[in-house]
Amino acid sequence: MNSDLYQRVEALLPRVERPVRYINSEWGARHASDGGHRTVLLYPDTYEVGQANQALAILYDRLNSIEGLAAERAYVPWVDMAAEMRAAGVPLFSLESCSAVADFDILGITLPYELTYTNILEALDLAGIPLDATGRAEEHPIVLGGGPCAYNPEPVARFFDVILIGEGEDAVVQIATAHRDAKRSGLSRSEFLDNLAGMPGVYVPTLYRPAPGGGVEPSGSAPPVVMKRVLTDIGVHRPPLCPVVPYMDVVHDRFAVEVLRGCTRGCRFCQAGMVYRPVRERSADDIVRDVMEGLRCTGYDEVSLTSLSTTDHSQLEEVLRRLTGRLEGSGITVSLPSLRVDAFSVSMARLVSGGRKSGLTFAPEAGTQRLRDVINKNVTEEDLIETVSRAFSAGWRRVKLYFMIGLPTETDEDILGIGGLVYRVQQAAREAVPASDRGSVRIGVSVSTFVPKAHTPFQWEGQIPTEEIVRRQEVLRSAMPRKGIDLSWHDAEVSFLEGVVARGGREVSAAIEDAWRAGARFDAWTERFGLAPWRQAFAEAGLDPAAIASRSYRRDERLPWAHISSGVSERYLWLERERALSGTTTVDCSFDGCTGCDACGTLSVDVLLGGEARGRR
Amino acid sequence: MAAGEFRLRVCHAKSGRARFLSHLEVMRALERSSRRAALPYAVTKGFNPHMKAAFGPALPVGTAGEREYFDIWLTQPVPAAEALERLRRSTPGELGIREVRYVHEREPSLTAASTMARYEVAVGGEGVTAEGIAEALVTVIGEGRLEVERKGKTKVFDLARSLPEEVRVGSTGPPVIVEVTTRMGQEGSLRPDALLEEALSRAAVDGAVVSVTRTDILIEEEGVVRRPL
Ligand code: SF4
Repeated sequence: MNSDLYQRVEALLPRVERPVRYINSEWGARHASDGGHRTVLLYPDTYEVGQANQALAILYDRLNSIEGLAAERAYVPWVDMAAEMRAAGVPLFSLESCSAVADFDILGITLPYELTYTNILEALDLAGIPLDATGRAEEHPIVLGGGPCAYNPEPVARFFDVILIGEGEDAVVQIATAHRDAKRSGLSRSEFLDNLAGMPGVYVPTLYRPAPGGGVEPSGSAPPVVMKRVLTDIGVHRPPLCPVVPYMDVVHDRFAVEVLRGCTRGCRFCQAGMVYRPVRERSADDIVRDVMEGLRCTGYDEVSLTSLSTTDHSQLEEVLRRLTGRLEGSGITVSLPSLRVDAFSVSMARLVSGGRKSGLTFAPEAGTQRLRDVINKNVTEEDLIETVSRAFSAGWRRVKLYFMIGLPTETDEDILGIGGLVYRVQQAAREAVPASDRGSVRIGVSVSTFVPKAHTPFQWEGQIPTEEIVRRQEVLRSAMPRKGIDLSWHDAEVSFLEGVVARGGREVSAAIEDAWRAGARFDAWTERFGLAPWRQAFAEAGLDPAAIASRSYRRDERLPWAHISSGVSERYLWLERERALSGTTTVDCSFDGCTGCDACGTLSVDVLLGGEARGRR
Repeated sequence: MAAGEFRLRVCHAKSGRARFLSHLEVMRALERSSRRAALPYAVTKGFNPHMKAAFGPALPVGTAGEREYFDIWLTQPVPAAEALERLRRSTPGELGIREVRYVHEREPSLTAASTMARYEVAVGGEGVTAEGIAEALVTVIGEGRLEVERKGKTKVFDLARSLPEEVRVGSTGPPVIVEVTTRMGQEGSLRPDALLEEALSRAAVDGAVVSVTRTDILIEEEGVVRRPL
């Protein structure tokens, strides 16, 4: 069978923007031989946005390393290419073998962000796969979802046969193997799905129905609560050392090694900090070995040590000293994605930045100590000022600060506090540099609007209404120093839509489908975003989006995501909520002892620092 | 050149799917190939140290190349045959490395020295014939000047200057293969597809340029035309 669509794809390329998105043949792309079980991994956005996604790179690597299993990649064609494909009758294709996505055994789709959901429908439609799991026949691929947004799966649950909760490196291999075996022994699609529902971390949405008190419940023997999958030690799998090296200038175009997983600083607004517990570090020896091997294999001139909070790695200094020693004179740089607000972070940044003084990034998140205590962002103004002074005396001239508005208990005073804090940071920065250099001091301020996320202590809170977001942005603008500040904020309507989709239940899926039918796609792209198709869609689905986003839940109400568990107990989240409202902070359990979130016990795992178990204290 | 550096000139292709790459993408890919090949490349001094390399004239997205060039400076002289072998193994086939040779530091830079390029343009379509194209080209070239519109700007090319060699039209087809040599440089570089598109519209035939390949980049020195390698 000649399934290669490339000739037909190529005929379209001279007419589209950035044809490099569709040509495959990059260094490191794997071309499995025919005959085995085939998965295609799709990132629900364009090539340049999704190519460097580390989760998909890990799964690609894992599946291709196992005899009899193979994985390829696919992305969502930009609107011009999608139109050409529809006109020419070319279906959604994979990159490596350029075969129709519908011909694969499994279509794996990552769920990185709520505003990519219409792209998932665009991809399914271009692939010729029925949007609804219930509409699929034996010959269709199993549509498997996973990733950060799987923690509230309901808004997209209807479109998936299976959703994996939690870490995928072992689970995806088990699912693919189980599917291959099921096909070999002649099981039907529904028999396979019934069996799979017993596998840890697996959620099969068609086996659940709306529950009387809200949320969903199993209609048969599927587990009432699906517990996330978690690796006890991330060091058992090496990071992908020879990942695909793109031709195109993609987002995060560098070699990356995940140096630790999880973060237990305990910021109460942060979903990642709650759902990826506990902290598990890769050892310094493994990191240095893997960085060097990956650089050799990829030829990149930059390596990023990634995680939610890399400066928290207990052996970071050792790692950086060893790497900078080895990379001396090679022109290859090491980068740290985010910095903690302290002197240590600045000295670590100095160690790796060499001569290049690009900006530093810090996230105080709130403008007053009171509100920072509410959200458990353990940063003081003194720390911030001190850190910025140090950085500017050390030669940096640019700093970017991240804040949020719309946090629980926020008043105008907190917002005005952001302005005051930014002013004092600016003053400190100016004082730390020679007078002749003051003109080059730049302070970037990026302000997002808080969306209360599932599985966080603020999951019971509603989002503030759009008009209120706009008003607070206005307050913020008036509070900002006039000069030398680059202020940017998220569009209020984007945040509102995020809120609806992040907080909604199964009912929202009808609106996502209608919005896609009305032309919504690439909603995360500023130039493509518009609320109009969404408003129309909510109206058609008979939903009040504002009510969904701003709805608060009582403790005894069933949340739309109550059937999914990250291992952190609802009891703990509620306790953290109460502490938040009373302004009481909570320590970091990786360093200061267990704070009782229940993740370790429930999941039978332990905090692992530098590759060694610390033990719950 | 800093003392103790060795300038290696590399000739490579840009073929198959890789013709859809931009110049920047080709540069980045070849720099990565060179690092994978573990060549002892020199690094620039200054704020943002990077591999010391220099590339030849850019090829547009969609245009293939048979003999494209870049120079890379090494801190140790790796035997050319070995450098070739290492680069070949670390470069995607579609950017296939063809030849390498050390060149003198006094050799002018690729961008400054390359003043002519040869192309093969394939023209396809229902009504396309070799005679039709040849005739239309004679008319266009006879007029002596060509106006080309790109990105809203009009540029006028003096064809006597821009076409240093006779345009040759193949006898088979469609697609009909047309060989064009153009001059490039500061005053602008005539794109061969612009010439053929003008000819097609004059001849009023239903045809289109289906592919463009730069087959050679040439250096003119005191009346002698030669390859960079
Ligand atoms: S159970 Fe304790 S040690 Fe484990 S992640 Fe939760 S708070 Fe930290």
